[in-house]
Amino acid sequence: MNAPLHEASPTFDPLRARADFPLLTRSVHGKPLVYFDSANTSQKPASVIEAVDRFYRQHNANVARAVHALSEEATTAFEGARAALARFIGAASPDELVLTSGTTMAINLVAYSDLLPRLQPGDTVLVTQMEHHANIVPWQLVCARSGATLKVAPISERGELIVERFVELLTPEVKLAGVTHVSNVLGTVNPVRELARECRHRGIPLLVDGSQAVPHMPVDVQSIGCDFYAFTGHKMCGPTGTGGLWARRERLAAMPPFFGGGEMIREVRFSGTTFADPPHRFEAGTPNIAGFVGLGAAVQYLERLGMANVFARERELLAYATDALRSVPGLRILGEAPDKAAVISFLVTGAHAHDLATLLDLEGIAVRSGHHCAHPLMQFFGVPATCRASFAFYNTTGEIDRFVAALDKVRRLLV
Amino acid sequence: MSAKGPYRDIVLDHHRAPRRRGRLAPPAQSAEGVNALCGDQLRIEVRVEQGRVVAYAFEGTCCAIATATASLLGDRAIGGDADDLGALERRFAALVAGEIAEAAELGALNALSELARYPARRKCALLPFATLRAALRGEARTTTETPA
Repeated sequence: MNAPLHEASPTFDPLRARADFPLLTRSVHGKPLVYFDSANTSQKPASVIEAVDRFYRQHNANVARAVHALSEEATTAFEGARAALARFIGAASPDELVLTSGTTMAINLVAYSDLLPRLQPGDTVLVTQMEHHANIVPWQLVCARSGATLKVAPISERGELIVERFVELLTPEVKLAGVTHVSNVLGTVNPVRELARECRHRGIPLLVDGSQAVPHMPVDVQSIGCDFYAFTGHKMCGPTGTGGLWARRERLAAMPPFFGGGEMIREVRFSGTTFADPPHRFEAGTPNIAGFVGLGAAVQYLERLGMANVFARERELLAYATDALRSVPGLRILGEAPDKAAVISFLVTGAHAHDLATLLDLEGIAVRSGHHCAHPLMQFFGVPATCRASFAFYNTTGEIDRFVAALDKVRRLLV
Repeated sequence: MSAKGPYRDIVLDHHRAPRRRGRLAPPAQSAEGVNALCGDQLRIEVRVEQGRVVAYAFEGTCCAIATATASLLGDRAIGGDADDLGALERRFAALVAGEIAEAAELGALNALSELARYPARRKCALLPFATLRAALRGEARTTTETPA
């Protein structure tokens, strides 16, 4: 880990951090906004917004193509963001980090470049019951092309992965396992180091979906010991359309290109093209340069706060909200893992999730309702949809009080 | 804007105490309306005699908007000409899209006009209309969700 979790600083001031987010001062339907949808996308601090603005005002040019000053500045800023991100997740080198549009593209890259060429009929890919569609559908697509199949490791009623069943399912025909670090619906933190060890012993590559982990806790990809780590920028205070795939240099070097185009080549001839080394081999076309400059600023911002502080603050909010929600009659929380991120999925007897979310919106409170891109998990719990309140360090206990009072009020309208 | 948005009292009343909930004795035409992304599942049964809707019933698991609309639609459809329901559906679609303010022929269904401000929830109110249309056309199943 970058910093042990217990090293939260007593001087961290969450209210000062909240003041860094301009959007959080606005009103919705005439009421001060309560933004409890950070697991969907986080809000952005002023430093990130300003970094994007400054890039377009002062440095805008394409990267790695021209020799003029602006292009050098843009390239330096873009590669600087890569280096900052790589350091942030504990990569050994920036060369181990492919910049992608987000987790979805990162997983698709692994599916088509690493996995598909190896897949044979009869092979399998192992995922868990709690995966986001982004860690299911790409594998289904490459399975369909190759005659391989997907198999699913079960979870408990409390929303925890049943680790011994996962390990039993790591049979020789499994060519890759994909597991989320933190469930976007349940908040469950999976024991990814243990899972990585079990996979490694059997020579099975493990991909970890870190979308909900990197924004909320210190992450060190090398100490996890997985083969691939995918994450997204927009949930960690960065712009949309940014993210990354981490893998060790030799793993990336063995992977053929996925997208072809400019930027990813060494020399193009009609008789044959040679490709750039990783990570640029996987970055065809002009990237989201301003977005990554913004993500670099987000990393700086989060490092200044300290991820141990972010983690500790969000656990406080989770405990406070979990306790406060007990007062709402008919409320049931899905996901009761002891190691849980600040995400609360809930149902209220007699009230549909979308009705609750629409009525909460009228109170100025933004929560997500629906299937959260996790149909199989909804099927496991036998529900069509849930409401989900997800917290970030910039939220407050006062907002949780308003949320719980509003929830009780709207529940009375519906039930 | 109302403090309760699309959840006016009449809507909440039809959600809590839906009219004509259940099944019809045969003969009846029926269809299922399913919005899988929302999780709404609706079954509407209807009997038409000499061009007139003489019986209507619905059941299912739906949000308050869909349930109330299904209930209000039954009130409106009974005794009317089945051939007029297509025009009624187009008027209602225009209402929830914000293209018209109110329409006399919609009666109590005008209570859902606030949906003009909630584009994501329009499909909930349109589901009963689409399901009734499917039942009248002899189609087994319909949806108001675009494939995602």
